[in-house]
Amino acid sequence: MPELRKDPVLGRWIIISKERQKRPTDFFVEETKVLGGFCPLCAGNESSTPPEVLAYRSNSEAPANDPSWKVRVVPNKYPALIIEGELGKEGDGLYDRMNGIGAHEVIIESPGHEDLLWKLPVEHVSLVFRAFRDRLIDLEKDSRFRYVMIFKNYGKAAGASLEHSHSQLIALPVLPRMIVSELSGAQSYYRYKDRCIFCDIIRQEIQQEVRIVCQNDQFITIAPFAPRTPFEMWILPKEHASGFCSIDDRKLLSLAHLVSESLRRLDHCIPNVPYNFVLHTQPLRSGEIESFHWHFEIVPKLTSIAGFEWGSGFYINPLPPEEAAQYLRESLDN
Amino acid sequence: MKKILLVDDDHGIQLLYQEEFTDEGYAVESAFNGDEALQMFTAESPDLVILDIQMPGLNGIEVLRQMKMINSAIPIILNSAYHEYKQDLGAWASDDYVVKSSDLTELKNAVRRFLD
Repeated sequence: MPELRKDPVLGRWIIISKERQKRPTDFFVEETKVLGGFCPLCAGNESSTPPEVLAYRSNSEAPANDPSWKVRVVPNKYPALIIEGELGKEGDGLYDRMNGIGAHEVIIESPGHEDLLWKLPVEHVSLVFRAFRDRLIDLEKDSRFRYVMIFKNYGKAAGASLEHSHSQLIALPVLPRMIVSELSGAQSYYRYKDRCIFCDIIRQEIQQEVRIVCQNDQFITIAPFAPRTPFEMWILPKEHASGFCSIDDRKLLSLAHLVSESLRRLDHCIPNVPYNFVLHTQPLRSGEIESFHWHFEIVPKLTSIAGFEWGSGFYINPLPPEEAAQYLRESLDN
Repeated sequence: MKKILLVDDDHGIQLLYQEEFTDEGYAVESAFNGDEALQMFTAESPDLVILDIQMPGLNGIEVLRQMKMINSAIPIILNSAYHEYKQDLGAWASDDYVVKSSDLTELKNAVRRFLD
């Protein structure tokens, strides 16, 4: 029989359709081809991008926009939102609007065109996360922005338009609805139990040991109880922290280890699976929030979103997370 | 005389741009699809390319990648009826992106910026 499951943070229901149950090999993933040709993100082509806002190089004396970078952050050449200007908030009757002000940046994760994030040395992966943190800290100073959304699309089906490994960042003048819902769900739980719901999720998952994918001393990867898609994973710090910007360099390395391992396990289950990887963190300048816990969500693109999902907000998932976690745990043993 | 390679599968656009850019003092060569454009790009060595995106066969972003591989010094202006392709990071290889309009002022200014 199918099962309805409720996400404890958002209150969102999902359907685990056990009759449609699938094994990793049953999922169809379109073959990815490296297109080749000129790539504006490759080292040596820095003139094709706007000037960098951040870059890490072995030689700190090297000039800006020199091709010796390891990780490079540049403003989007054709941004969805623009950085200059005032918000110009206004009301039109019951409708609100404002100017499309924001920062839209691309984090180029490696100088090499065909490098994959999880195949890079962990020290390099930690630099990518350091770039996330350092950009968050910098953008927090701009009072026009309320939230910074950091995400990675991997694979064409997940929205990646270029195969060169990169993430994106969009600083927004408003809080995204998903974050508002998450903050509100977590706050409701906190008011009732006086505990962070994510800390409780981690405690329960460690105790039950059925949905853990992998862990180290500081981070844990779980298949959440009510996942939207097969092999959805959440990566959370074991110690309570609501903002990613407070993470120190030692923890960045530990996080890099676990993210690499989680993505490697996912790739071993379903090679080249497209996915979206999103950082959920506290709003800018909110200060530490006792009820909220930063985390990454990795959502593989394996199911389609059609009328039912759009209309109801329900997702239909053909693979229970307990089994997904087991596949992921065993994936590197085979 | 500076030479523009105009790549667009729409004959109406080809006629309009031919007339307008010839009047501006440029020589205009036409290609109607990506393969033809790549051949002409290599053979003709234009001074600038105006490149549509949505075309049958190779799309403009794919053509752009190939052209920049052949010669990255030749400026290429993407010229599409759609804003949406700006979200394609492949478009970054272009030197400018001008959305199609019946008013050619912006496109002409972009061309002048590279050629004059």
